[in-house]
Amino acid sequence: MPEIRVTPLGAGQDVGRSCILVSIAGKNVMLDCGMHMGFNDDRRFPDFSYITQNGRLTDFLDCVIISHFHLDHCGALPYFSEMVGYDGPIYMTHPTQAICPILLEDYRKIAVDKKGEANFFTSQMIKDCMKKVVAVHLHQTVQVDDELEIKAYYAGHVLGAAMFQIKVGSESVVYTGDYNMTPDRHLGAAWIDKCRPNLLITESTYATTIRDSKRCRERDFLKKVHETVERGGKVLIPVFALGRAQELCILLETFWERMNLKVPIYFSTGLTEKANHYYKLFITWTNQKIRKTFVQRNMFEFKHIKAFDRAFADNPGPMVVFATPGMLHAGQSLQIFRKWAGNEKNMVIMPGYCVQGTVGHKILSGQRKLEMEGRQVLEVKMQVEYMSFSAHADAKGIMQLVGQAEPESVLLVHGEAKKMEFLRQKIEQEFRVSCYMPANGETVTLPTSPSIPVGISLGLLKREMAQGLLSEAKKPRLLHGTLIMKDSNFRLVSSEQALKELGLAEHQLRFTCRVHLQDTRKEQEMALRVYSHLKSTLKDHCVQHLPDGSVTVESILIQAAAHSEDPGTKVLLVSWTYQDEELGSFLTALLKKGLPQTPS
Amino acid sequence: MESAEDWLVESLRLYQDFHAFDLSAATRGLEWIGDKGVFVAGYESLKKNEILHLILPPRLSVKENQGLFPERDFKVCHGGFSDRAVLELKHVPDTRLLVTSGLPGCYLRVWRVAEDSDVIKAISTIAVQDEAGGLWPRLAVFSSAPRVLHGARLSSLQVLDPESGETTYSSGISDSEELSSLQVLDGDTFAFCCASGRLGLVDTRQPWAPLESPGQSPGSGGQRWCAEVRAGGSGPGPCFSSLGADGQLRLLDARDLCHPMSSVQCAVSMPSPSPELLRVTWAPGLDNCLAISGFDGTVQVYDVTSWEGVGSQVEPLFTHRGHIFLEEGEGHAAALVTTHTWHPSKPRTLLSAASDASVHVWDWVDPRAAC
Repeated sequence: MPEIRVTPLGAGQDVGRSCILVSIAGKNVMLDCGMHMGFNDDRRFPDFSYITQNGRLTDFLDCVIISHFHLDHCGALPYFSEMVGYDGPIYMTHPTQAICPILLEDYRKIAVDKKGEANFFTSQMIKDCMKKVVAVHLHQTVQVDDELEIKAYYAGHVLGAAMFQIKVGSESVVYTGDYNMTPDRHLGAAWIDKCRPNLLITESTYATTIRDSKRCRERDFLKKVHETVERGGKVLIPVFALGRAQELCILLETFWERMNLKVPIYFSTGLTEKANHYYKLFITWTNQKIRKTFVQRNMFEFKHIKAFDRAFADNPGPMVVFATPGMLHAGQSLQIFRKWAGNEKNMVIMPGYCVQGTVGHKILSGQRKLEMEGRQVLEVKMQVEYMSFSAHADAKGIMQLVGQAEPESVLLVHGEAKKMEFLRQKIEQEFRVSCYMPANGETVTLPTSPSIPVGISLGLLKREMAQGLLSEAKKPRLLHGTLIMKDSNFRLVSSEQALKELGLAEHQLRFTCRVHLQDTRKEQEMALRVYSHLKSTLKDHCVQHLPDGSVTVESILIQAAAHSEDPGTKVLLVSWTYQDEELGSFLTALLKKGLPQTPS
Repeated sequence: MESAEDWLVESLRLYQDFHAFDLSAATRGLEWIGDKGVFVAGYESLKKNEILHLILPPRLSVKENQGLFPERDFKVCHGGFSDRAVLELKHVPDTRLLVTSGLPGCYLRVWRVAEDSDVIKAISTIAVQDEAGGLWPRLAVFSSAPRVLHGARLSSLQVLDPESGETTYSSGISDSEELSSLQVLDGDTFAFCCASGRLGLVDTRQPWAPLESPGQSPGSGGQRWCAEVRAGGSGPGPCFSSLGADGQLRLLDARDLCHPMSSVQCAVSMPSPSPELLRVTWAPGLDNCLAISGFDGTVQVYDVTSWEGVGSQVEPLFTHRGHIFLEEGEGHAAALVTTHTWHPSKPRTLLSAASDASVHVWDWVDPRAAC
């Protein structure tokens, strides 16, 4: 029975560690390889022993696909490929390929240098892992081997994020990764065509939230920044080089222009160069608006936003500064933070998740006293704001995506099935699809009915049509032919053609049935009576009386003979070919009932 | 949209906090459960409607360190399906029960919110007085015991135990005036407002003898009315606020319902196009403030402190215009606010819902407060 099997890996029900195993038509694919950010030990990695018990990973898996550069989707990749051991292809989009190693290296530095972790992947491992990467373009069909193909679709969410379609023959699965259905200032919305996969795999968290509008999030950001600078305070915004930083800059620039504000906004130069570099590379991944502005001018030639110089941090008065790195774990942003933390008029806005061990993580947990190098204690009096700009789909968005792709079934990961009965009903009713919710480590098996295309020969088709078209053109029709399977090709041809092609001789199968009837008349008279009887009974068929005394009904032959021992019994020999089985049996049964007594 | 951007900039000083959500279908109910969750329900006919239990974003519920809570989304905690439009929705306090009514038919439906799953399940449907006029029972809940007050007309007013289905009180009168709102004041008293504007306070321990205002008070002129009573607050007796479809608002002391303390004309540009959506609510956390909606895409907040006499025009203290400016897409009919409610504990926070399926949570800045 053909089937698709899906297993989300790992123990427990938590979000934050995406890694899904899919078996489709004999191919095994691993979707994402994420890190659980909350754990410091092996619990942060997906449970690969589930797959490795089958032998070497490289032999078992046909490929690995990474949806985007967030650590909860790619953080365990170097561990998986270099420490557990996998040498097969790793597919991801070009921006993901460019950005992943940077984030992985950052993460490694924090884990090893800051937290002194031992069992962690090295810089060299990251490099070796990335050598196995095969980058793909959007909507490009990539042949993993001669049966398995994959295709990436735009997912929004972050630069380079993609949804992937995995296809073998007529069976396919679509994995959404993280996606977003509403465009934001620098990325477009996710889009997929009506590809009708057997299965769509997505996060359950989406289906249970209703997102606050983007405008309100932006409003909140602007309000916080505005209030701080109005009272003379300084705003520090630690950012990663790409993504949110650009969006927030555009937002502030627009606001500053409208309000005619004079407070300086700075952007550290390292950021500018990197960001420009990446945006030039991946311009097609951003939305229309950004592309337009990029063409008109360099991304960071804003009127109100200037390049930062470290000396400015000591300037009196209000200002806004965007600086790297994003988690306050080192470098310029940490330097500035240390200078400004002691003043309650100031504010630091953290625009994203911070890994454990970083200053960012500590202050977001509410810590107000930090131990820095040399046992120095830093008192944090400045306001700390945690803002989430991450663009995710929600309940409405997931419905939109399912409506676009039209899958036969939907599978939600990272949710508790028992608790999600309403959700399952909602999806099942709205789209008439089955909805599955496996726990981590649990395998869901979906039976599929793959459609096998068969070519029909023109000759056979013509013959069928000559027999008359059915009145209902869309009803299935039974036809007889020979199925030839050759070179992965299926063809339906007439028996004669098949024999000819295959160089076989036709064997005729002929059945003869004896019907004994009590009759004292001569054989010829018997035959005549049979002929009359059949002629009047079988009005739809061609009944003939041949000169030699035999009767034919279509191509079936009936002969009358005398019984060898009993003169009162006559034997009717009814003979037909295999093709005329139905009519032959019918005639035999009819004749067995006997002939009418008086000739009609 | 240019004007949307302008409004957003304006909103920085108008609101302390502002959240805007898009449900998959519009709701006419915003019913609190505690102060962290609300129920909403769809009201489309000929379609399966959803009843949802939404949990407010945590930052709205925490007292301190709000800044450390980045979550701004509603969480769908429970959901259920209704094959009929839900026009009234009430949560029975201290239980996991909901009661709804709607069209078609004149009935009450009792629902249970599951504890171990996310399902809201219908557990019984109770047919009430047969109603051919296309009306549906108004609902109000008692907090002292699980009881539901319901009725589409004065004659069909009853109190029901939702679990047993037993009726514990009936008005027992033949007056068939149509009701527009019901409100429970304490274990034995409730207030009603008829569509005609007639108001009354009823003690359930006695045979029907309400303190009431006459049906057609001068100037009420055939328009539709709704009302809400302010429990507590200054003044010895409960105070009714009664809102009419052309924007008239009357304040009445329960001890003298025949003579309004004041009657003013609210700042609405035209009469309500859907008087069934009229709503007036007293602020639980502010003295002398009330909010009105049902005329257009706005919610207006008024301070009634200095109101007196009859006929004066009043200006709102604050107008929420979010549903007009944040409308998605063009070419749709202008959004109409279907309902609003005050947050039980945050004094200036309201929730409002509109016909375009938007739900806003907003905390307005008092313009009179010193900057």
